[in-house]
Order: sequence, then structure tokens, then C-alpha cells
Amino acid sequence: MSRATWTALALATGSLLAFAGFAWPLLASAVPADAQRAAPFVAMALVPAAIAVVALALDREMHSAKAVALLGVLAAIGAGIRIAGAGVGGIEAVFIVLILAGRAYGARFGFLLGLITIAVSSLLWGGFGPWTPFQMFACAWVAAGAGLLPRIRARVRGGADAASADAALAALSAVKRAGRLEILMLAGYGVAASYLFGLLMNIWFWPFAVGMGTDISYEAGAPLGTNLASFALYSLVSSTLTWDTVRAVTTVVGLALLGPTLLAALRRAKLPAAR
Amino acid sequence: MRFHAGALRTAALVAAVFVATRVVYRVVFGGAGGSGILLLDLPRIPLGGPFAHVALFGPITTGGLWNAAVSALPFAAVILAFGLVNAVIDMRRLFVHGSTRGPLRAISRSLVIAWSTAPALAQAVRRLRRAAALRGERGTAALLVPVFEQTIERALALAASMEVRGFAARHPLPAATPVAETLAPVAELADAGLHRDGTPLLSGMTFTITPGTFTVLVGPTGAGKSSLLRGLDGLFQHFDGGHQSGRIRVAGVDRATTPPRETAAFVGSVAQNVRLGFATATVREEIGFALAVQGVAEPARTERVRATAELLTIGHLLDRDIIALSAGEATLVAIAAAVVARPRLLLVDEPLAELDDAARLRVSAALRGLVREHGVAVIVAEHQWELWQPLAEQWLQIDGGRVRVSAEAPAARLETPPAAPAPAADARHPLAHVRGLSVAHDGATVVDGAAFELAAGELVALSGQNGAGKSSLLLAMALADAAGTVLVAGDDVAALTPAQRRRRIALVPERVDELFLQTSVAAECRRADRADSPAVPTDTTFALLLGQDAGSPSHMALLLRHPRDLSAGQQLCLALAIQLAPAPDVLLVDEPSRGLDPATRQMVGLALQRAAQHGEPESGRAVLFATHDAGFARSYAERRLRLADGRLRAEDAAVPR
Repeated sequence: MSRATWTALALATGSLLAFAGFAWPLLASAVPADAQRAAPFVAMALVPAAIAVVALALDREMHSAKAVALLGVLAAIGAGIRIAGAGVGGIEAVFIVLILAGRAYGARFGFLLGLITIAVSSLLWGGFGPWTPFQMFACAWVAAGAGLLPRIRARVRGGADAASADAALAALSAVKRAGRLEILMLAGYGVAASYLFGLLMNIWFWPFAVGMGTDISYEAGAPLGTNLASFALYSLVSSTLTWDTVRAVTTVVGLALLGPTLLAALRRAKLPAAR
Repeated sequence: MRFHAGALRTAALVAAVFVATRVVYRVVFGGAGGSGILLLDLPRIPLGGPFAHVALFGPITTGGLWNAAVSALPFAAVILAFGLVNAVIDMRRLFVHGSTRGPLRAISRSLVIAWSTAPALAQAVRRLRRAAALRGERGTAALLVPVFEQTIERALALAASMEVRGFAARHPLPAATPVAETLAPVAELADAGLHRDGTPLLSGMTFTITPGTFTVLVGPTGAGKSSLLRGLDGLFQHFDGGHQSGRIRVAGVDRATTPPRETAAFVGSVAQNVRLGFATATVREEIGFALAVQGVAEPARTERVRATAELLTIGHLLDRDIIALSAGEATLVAIAAAVVARPRLLLVDEPLAELDDAARLRVSAALRGLVREHGVAVIVAEHQWELWQPLAEQWLQIDGGRVRVSAEAPAARLETPPAAPAPAADARHPLAHVRGLSVAHDGATVVDGAAFELAAGELVALSGQNGAGKSSLLLAMALADAAGTVLVAGDDVAALTPAQRRRRIALVPERVDELFLQTSVAAECRRADRADSPAVPTDTTFALLLGQDAGSPSHMALLLRHPRDLSAGQQLCLALAIQLAPAPDVLLVDEPSRGLDPATRQMVGLALQRAAQHGEPESGRAVLFATHDAGFARSYAERRLRLADGRLRAEDAAVPR
């Protein structure tokens, strides 16, 4: 198997492991009762382990000076934005950078950028906690997802040679249309990613946040439907209506206003793996 | 061991918030009841549908609240434990360690870069905020684009500097044997050419470079000096996406097939803007970078770093932070970082452009020592070649895409004399009065009670050494944020709103690209038109300053370019056009001629005269430009002011020609 296949395999395995870590409250009911006590601890260990797997696989992929330098400076920008925005609700504007970089430089670069941005900002700001690995992974998925979206090509009629002024103008407007379509797609993805990110961050934390003894508490033995309903209510009041919505709006507005320019700036750097 | 109390404080705060939130959930979702005193007997409100098992509120008791808080303590303790770990462990040291060895080198190196970029980023934001204020822009959204652009540029410069120092080399080639060192040429070119996107930049190059010689590469700005240097260190072929034809061999190695990282042991390279290429946080780490990535172990590494620093007379700077260096020191550190691996060939791109006379002497002495005493072959690119005349043994002269090799210095330049400035008219209409302008930085006085006048249609130079306070004086005039009075056309600029002030006085800063906020020249001009609604569209002003026809195809092509892809002279003209859009009475320009070759300097000088609407004392504006280039000041200004030791005085009123 080629190295690219190995990396893809490691990424898929790591993501699957991490997903199990995130969704432990829903999966735990499938294991025997005495194993359920261990579930939260297993979850807490699974995600960092998945990060290690993926980081080891991707480290070799990023072995070019350009990729490493871009990862470093973009992570610094992302961390700066995240820390500057911490007063108004945390991970709001950083999604813009993650989505655009993932789009411009591809899923693997985006994945690492998500991991590193959160690691740097958490260490600089001091907000380092049990949630940090989860945030790292969720942000990595957000950035990588933008890189997996379909490519949009400008449809240029006629030959590629822009001999006449008309043909050049037509080509220019086709490129513009494709650019607008791409931003529209990214904005749609931004909304979905904002809410999904909220749900992911809520599901593993929900049993810890609420604890036992309330009506929306996680109950290991309860039917899946009850647990899902309790989780839905928890998520709704905790973040979906507030933080997640703010994040979705910030992301859409940011992508619409700055997206074309920032994307052009990123693509000017001509990373070999970029598209 | 250091203790970082901030991290623990943050963790304590987060833990407290966690406990409080747990209590709130219990209260809202019917879990705060139980033993103890009944505090509040809220009714239970059952929900319907899929949430039938949930009821809101219910009684609240002291026991219920206590239980809620206690149940949150284990997790709160975990949060505190994380805070403690973060407070005790210095993560940066871990990254620095991990970036030189182990399976996570790339990621650790990215983390180190992110870490050292953070302070530079804060600086960039401050500078760009000032530039945005000069352009009359408000809001942080406008700032994000230039910050981003600059950061990407930094990333690329940084990546290039890491690459030439051997970062991520898979099969590094060892330094050549001492026997070969004395005999074989370090670079051989045979009918070599460099082209990019199908356009030839240089062709038919045939020359050799022998060890222990000093070569100067001359040619106007944009002629391809940097491309030739990057063709020798391999960045052109393997990093910039250019193509090579013919043969280029460096110490016997084929450049077309060998990337820069593999030849780091015998080719050293120093780029133009050295600060952008610094990959670490301290001088010691920076000089040792090449050794670290090439796998030289301690204590040999420390010893080599020390010896190299001594060689370049910067031993006292080893523990300094990289961002606390002056321009001359930064250049010397960059040279040290390039020669620490003892290369046989050293390529240096315009090392003197940013430096004043004292720093120039130190840098040229250091390079002479490397050639004479250590047998390094040095190639320096420079358009002010006169500075290297005492040292040079071979000259490479680029002219129209060809390289001419000679042992003699290029023929003395025939500088076309610029249009002579008109002598000052007797009764000029005075436009601006500056009184008692003083600027202080960190308690030190930079400008002390400057007082002068500017008249309509006049072009005035402000001269002085690096760091004399010229930029501070211009900024204080444009932003009206210092002690003293600036009256323009009868208005005190400090009393005006930013928008009104821009119609009186505008400044083009030294780094003109800080003014650019768009991705094309056309969009940049439209933005200025929207903001200032000038009588003449900004793209027409731009054409006028360049001396071009506004409707010509070449000008239309220019409008489609990215502002940062323009040449230095064109960028300056675009910045002038943007700052002329509000039709200011006074235009200030900071160092317009820095780093430009004679032809471009002439173009910029003429643009400044056009901006002043020279020779029209009624409608003209006053242009004041700062420069440390005495020749440029003499050629274009009618009057010169000199700033030295914080004091401003007039230099010869009438310019003898």
C-alpha cells in the first residue's frame, strides 16, 4: 500500500475512534452494565489517542517547509482571533480561517490546522482542560470537511485562449460566478458545521455538565429515545439557540465579506497540495 | 522550573463556572429538591411530546443545592489538575525539543512557528491599524485582509529560509571534502536559463564562481537579481515554481534535480527581508537552527553557534529576543544563521538596502572576513554597486535578461538628470504652519519643538539618519496625536474629524503595501473613489503619476494585477494615488526612494513633482517627503529640512545645481 493510502486509513481509523469518544453516552448503553462505569474514562482516553494516531500519520505528509510555515502562521492567526474573541463566546470567528484554509489547502492540511490552532490558543490563553482534545478534534473535522467539499470549476465557453476581448470578459465573468458559488457553498457548510460542532461538543460533555438527579440527566440504562430527548433539550438550552447560532451567523457574515479576498490570498501562496 | 500562575487562575475560574452551571441545570430541570430547608417552592412544569419525562423547576432546598455543588467537584478537580499541569510544564520547550527530532517534527515545528509568530502578529496589527487610520478606514474587518496577506508573505519567506537551511531534508548531501574545497569551482553555469510561466527571465548564462572570491551581482530593480540567486540556491526551481534550462551545478551537484534542503551543508543564503525569515524566538536558537535541523548534536552545536557569533561580532546578542534587534543586527544574525553550517557558497540579497552607514560598514566587514579568512565564495546582489567596489573581484551585470561577466566594475552610470526643480517663487501662498511639534517614545524625546512652514506647490525634503525621528514627525503631523500645532489652510488639524483631516493632510507610510486592502489595483482604486469621491478617478491619477495613458492597454493590464504583485515603484504610485483621492492640501511621503534603482527613483521623483502640481503656486499642494538619501533630496526637492538629535533645521534654502 502506498503512503497516501496508509494516511487515509489512519485518518479514517482515528476519526472513527474519536467519534466513539464523542458519542460515548449513546454507545455506552450497548455495553454490559458493569462496563458502563468505565465508559467516560475510556472516552476521555480515546480522543487523545485518536489525535496521536492522526498526528503521527499526517506529520509525514506535511514534511515541506512551505506547509509547516503556513500551518504555523495560520495557527497563530487562528489562535489570535480565538483569544481576541474569547470575551464574546469563544470559537466564533476562528471558523472562518479554518474553513477557508481547509478549502484552499485541502482536507489534510485543514485537519492539522484545526488541531494546532486549538492547541496553541489553549496553551497561550490558559484555557487548557479535559475538553481541549475534543475541541481540537471537532475543529479539525470542521476544517477538513471544507477541504472535502466538491471542487467548483469556472465553466468557460469556447477555447481556452482569450484572444478576443469578448472571450476574456466572458471568461472573467465565469470565474466570478464560480467564485460566488464557492462562497455560497462554504457559507452553507459554515452553518451546518457551526451547529454540528455544537452538538458534538455537547454530547460528550452532557453527562459531566448536568450530573445525575435532574430530568435531563444521562441515564446509562434508559432507552436510547429517552436519552436522545434529554440530550436534545440539554443541547438546545446550552448552546444550540445561543452560541451555535451566533457562530453560524458570524461564520456566514465573515465568509461573505472576507471569503473571496482571503481565499485569493491563501491561493496566492501556491502550496503544492492546494487547489 | 517556572510557575505560570495565570494558567492556574484561569483553570480555577473555569472550575467555578462549571460548578455554578451544574447548580443552574439542577434548578431548571427539577433536581434541586431534597433534604434541608425549603428555599423556594416553584411549581413543576411538565413538558410534552418526546420530552414527556422532563419537568421544569420544582422545589429548591439547601440540601438540593449543596448536593448539586458537591456532585460537580470531582470534575472541577480535573479542571484544576489540568490548570496545574499547564502552569508547571513549559510547553514551548517541549515543542522546541520535538521540532528537532522524533516523529512529530513537522507539527512541533509548526507549533514553534505559531508561538514565535504571535508577538509579530500583534505588532503587525498595531502597524496596520495605524495605516488604516491614515487611509481613513475604520473597523477591524478591513484590517483582517492586510494582516492575512502579510502573514502569508511571512509564511513563505519563513518557509524559504527554513528550506535553504536544510529543514525536512531526506537525503542531505555532506559538505565537500577539504581537497575539493580548494580546487573545484563552487558554481558552474553553462548556457543556463531561468523561466517562469513560459516567460524567460534570464538566458544564456555561462560563468563560474571559484572558492574564496567576492562577486557582486548588479542590475536594476526587477532585472532578475533575486531570481538568479534563487536559481543558485535552488529556491527558484524547487520552491517558487520556476523552470531551469541549461546546466547549473553547485559544488558539483545538479541544481535542476537537487532541492535547496539537500544542499544546506554547503550553500548558505540570506534573503532580502531577513526579519521575515526568522524561524525561532531567540538569537541563539536562530543561529543554531541549521545545525539543529541537520542533526548536529550538543555540545558541538552550542560551540559552533558561539564561534559563528564571535566571527560576526554579535556574541553579545546571543540571548537577545529576535524581535528586539536593530536592522543592522538582524542582518548580521541572518548571515550568522546562514554560515553556521560552514557553507562554501554564500548568497546575499541586497543586505545594505535598509541600513545606515555604520551598519553597512559592519556587514561589509563581516562578509570580507568570510571571503578572506574562511575561503567562502560570496555573491552579493546590489543595485547600489558602488558600495562594494573595494571588495569585488568579479562582477555579474544583468542587462535585458543576459548576464555579463567582468573583472572590472560596471562603467560609471550616466544618470539622466531629472527635471530641475523650479526655484522657489518669491511670494508663495503659505499653506501649512507647524509650531512646537514634539514627539516622545517611552519617555525619550524623538522630535523636539519642530517648527516650519510649507507653501503651495512646493516639494520639500526632510532628511536625517536612520532612527532620527523622520517617520515619527510625519506620523505626528498626519495623525495629530502629539504635542504642538499643525495648521493647514487655517485649520488646526487636531480639531478636525479624521475624514476632514484627510482633506487637509495625508501620509503615505514607508511600507506602502500597508495601505492596500483589496486583491486588484482596480478594486483598490474603486475603494478610494467610493470613500473620497475625488474629482479625477483614482485609476486616472495612478496613470498620471506613472506617466502613462489612462486608457492604454498596458495600464488596463496593470489594473487587473494584485497590488502586492506590482513593482516597488508602481506600488508607491498606487499609494500616492490613493492618498491623493481626498485632495489633501499637504501630502507627506515617508522614504519614497528606499531600495529603488536609479531609473525607478527618477520615476518616483517625477511622480512626487506631479503630486505637488509643481509650478502652479495657486492650486498646487505642498509635498513633504522624508529620505535618508541625500542625492534624491538634492535632485527633487527645492528646499531641505534636516532632523538631527530631535532638532529640525533648514538646510541651504536654495539648492545649488
